[in-house]
Amino acid sequence: MTLTSHQPARAPAAGRLDLDPDRVGRDLVSLVLTVVELLRQLMERQALRRCDQDDLTDEQVERIGTTLMMLDQRMDELCAEHGLSRDDLNLDLGPLGTLLER
Amino acid sequence: MAGAAPPGAPATTATYVYAVCRGGDESALAGLRGQAPGSPVRLLRFGGLAAVVQDVPAAEFGEDALRERLTDRTELERCARAHHAVIAAAAGVAPVLPFPLATIYRGDARAEAALGADRARLTAALRRIAGRAEWGVKVYARQADRRTAPAADKPERPDRARVAARPGHAYLDRLRGLRHERESRQEAGLQAVEEVDRSFARLAVAARRLRPHDTGLTPGRGAHLLNAAYLVDEARGDEVADAVRRLRRSPECRDVEIELTGPWVPYSFVEAGVTGAGG
Repeated sequence: MTLTSHQPARAPAAGRLDLDPDRVGRDLVSLVLTVVELLRQLMERQALRRCDQDDLTDEQVERIGTTLMMLDQRMDELCAEHGLSRDDLNLDLGPLGTLLER
Repeated sequence: MAGAAPPGAPATTATYVYAVCRGGDESALAGLRGQAPGSPVRLLRFGGLAAVVQDVPAAEFGEDALRERLTDRTELERCARAHHAVIAAAAGVAPVLPFPLATIYRGDARAEAALGADRARLTAALRRIAGRAEWGVKVYARQADRRTAPAADKPERPDRARVAARPGHAYLDRLRGLRHERESRQEAGLQAVEEVDRSFARLAVAARRLRPHDTGLTPGRGAHLLNAAYLVDEARGDEVADAVRRLRRSPECRDVEIELTGPWVPYSFVEAGVTGAGG
């Protein structure tokens, strides 16, 4: 019930099932991208923690940073390809807040 | 009227209950359109109390028909406004216990029986809210462009040469900066909410935290940090406005927006009264 996407209200009313194949396809894409984005953010967090521990060489840190940066860019491209913005991927979990950081 | 229908035949009207009050005055309800323009909003007396009711067409207020209508935002708004208009009018003359939107019984007899069985709880709840009003307090995070956070908190702009030489390091630095900013923002938000809640707890006889709403519904606003309702003695209404003025100036609330609404009929304290919690 409270799991509503932050996308602009395209559906006329909440709680109704819209079976337009185009929209179902889009919703699926945005759900998949949401999961990908969640994983990406978790990876970033984990990587930052590792880099802060000081047991990596400068070169390793640089490589991690570059990889994360490219992932971030790739995510932007994927969203653009599907006409979505990063905010569209977020889910409102009601009392728990939002799924992704803002 | 439902009672007039021949036995066995399905009733064509249902009884919509807006509120329950003690005493009450039917003349205050005259001319209200309610949910079914054309049929009068009236009082249904039961055991020393009175329910504010209206006959509504059963076909339009059946379970399925209602669910269908209330999923439509425009229709929901219309119903809620009509509901509130009746309750506000009734509250003008007597303490009222507002009922949830779309409380419907199959005819007066059913309504009377159900409400009568609840009389003790209703009386206790009425006693609890009499002479008191509800104030709604919402706290929103200020949006990024309107924040007044000191510049030191903002992630520093990386110089171009360093970025070009070590883009990976620069990206990680930017991440750290963003993370740090987000954390301090959350911390500040929590402190503001705590400060607001503390101030109101001193004024109110009861408080309730409601679920913050979807930020999609309030464009132009930051995250919704607090959605609370406070039950305050009517005599202390001025202090409420003073408290909000003071809070808006306080350093804790620098980066939040505080919205005050009220006084309302105590919608949020009907249930708390019914369970007998608090004073």
